Amino acid sequence: MPPLNYFVVESPDEVGREAYERIAADVLQDLDLIKVIDRLHIYVDPKVPIFVAAGQLRHMPRAIRISDFANVNSGDAKIVLDIGDETYLAPLLEKLWARYGKENVDQPDRFTVVLPAGVAAEEDLEHMVVADPSETLYKDVIYALQYIAPEGFKVRRQYIRDEKFYYVASEDTLPGDIVETMVAPIFEKMGVTL
Amino acid sequence: MTTLVPVTYKGGVYRHDEIMDLIDDLGGYIVQKHVMAQDVVLQSFVPRDDIDLIREVAKPLAGEVTEAPLVGTEIAVVSPSLEIHHLPHTACDIAEYLRCAGAKTNMVGLARGFGKRIANLNDEERDVINEHDLAVYALGNFEECIRQKFPVLRRGIHVPIVVTGAPDRETLLRIIDPPVEGYVGGVGRIMHRFKRPEELAKLDELVDEVSRTLDARRDDLAKDPLSVFPPRLMAIIEERIHEVSMLTHPTPVTAQMEGLRVKLPYDLYADAVRSLEVADGVTVGDIADVTPSRMRNYILIRIKPFSETRTLV
Repeated sequence: MPPLNYFVVESPDEVGREAYERIAADVLQDLDLIKVIDRLHIYVDPKVPIFVAAGQLRHMPRAIRISDFANVNSGDAKIVLDIGDETYLAPLLEKLWARYGKENVDQPDRFTVVLPAGVAAEEDLEHMVVADPSETLYKDVIYALQYIAPEGFKVRRQYIRDEKFYYVASEDTLPGDIVETMVAPIFEKMGVTL
Repeated sequence: MTTLVPVTYKGGVYRHDEIMDLIDDLGGYIVQKHVMAQDVVLQSFVPRDDIDLIREVAKPLAGEVTEAPLVGTEIAVVSPSLEIHHLPHTACDIAEYLRCAGAKTNMVGLARGFGKRIANLNDEERDVINEHDLAVYALGNFEECIRQKFPVLRRGIHVPIVVTGAPDRETLLRIIDPPVEGYVGGVGRIMHRFKRPEELAKLDELVDEVSRTLDARRDDLAKDPLSVFPPRLMAIIEERIHEVSMLTHPTPVTAQMEGLRVKLPYDLYADAVRSLEVADGVTVGDIADVTPSRMRNYILIRIKPFSETRTLV
């Protein structure tokens, strides 16, 4: 695993600490999140019981627009979208159908989508947002932390905003001031302010 | 008296029926046959003195005979849940490795086996685990959690237990009270496939621990032998109740150390099984308890010891 800029697992149980270090590394690798997460600090104490993971993401991916993966060629009778990368084809079609109606969106082959001329300006089309990977990225990060945390820790509080995230979980009810008492000090250790 | 030893035969499909006939002729039993594409794996019991003969016959067929200590046993691999936290790696890798050693393994995913405070075991899980020869508990990483939840997870279990967990063997020995039959440390919740040499060594250690436990049970059984050797009863049932051959289960009749699990509906077939004649005038009902299994609607046969029936078939 290529190192994160900061990766620490803390636990009073040394065997458990080593195991969780390995678990976190495996999960982040499996979910392909190593490149996304910049800093991660995990604290787990089964006696309390508490699991805290806090960290920072690297830059967030920007929204994907049509111009990122297709050429828009407008002719006299029709506008032809020449698809370069199929990854976002499905959400693109959904968006086009919703906006212009299925009868106006023709797809003669895998890499071509045809619209009648005049339904949209070329620039509008090029700037149309098709997908926002950061939305799924948030879900992926929270899912990864849920996956790393011990399974019995069902009570949880999660937060992800402005490239900072935390995930606190326990078997028992979490105290209301858990963020101030447990999470903020961990962010401090990382040199990040929440 | 010839001693039957558990072995695995691995070879090609081509002419494997000759090996099956040979084992049969030598007085051995085949408890499980797997055909996977071009390969055949036979889990069987063969007379100790004839292993070399089978090796010789198998040589031109490129088949190999290896000792498999767990043939004829059914083992429950108990995982705290069937969530992504515990599956697939730890529990499935353990089950697969035990299968390589000849055991028939069943995965028991507990409904609420996670969490040190909330863990529990319901009656169905308890009864299903008790129908096996041995239970392997695949527990997690923290000493504290194992100490707190294991007494709950073992409540009512009377089959031998082997525990795996991340703390080392000595710690497991210390925190588990009353003691169980086997411990394997250093195997906790693992999120990748067991492939490093030290991980595989742990699985070997587990197989040793399981076979040591089962050998101890076998020694006890030898002092008061069962009225019929389970694979022998299995062969009789397979021969006489032809519906068994129509089942699509990988092991329609599963051999255990002290009985059999027949995967036919209890309501319809229990009487037929009970009245089946094993030898002159001796029926299955005379030498065994035929009971409904908690696993689906199967039939569970528990063979009675010689001291109870005064019959040895």
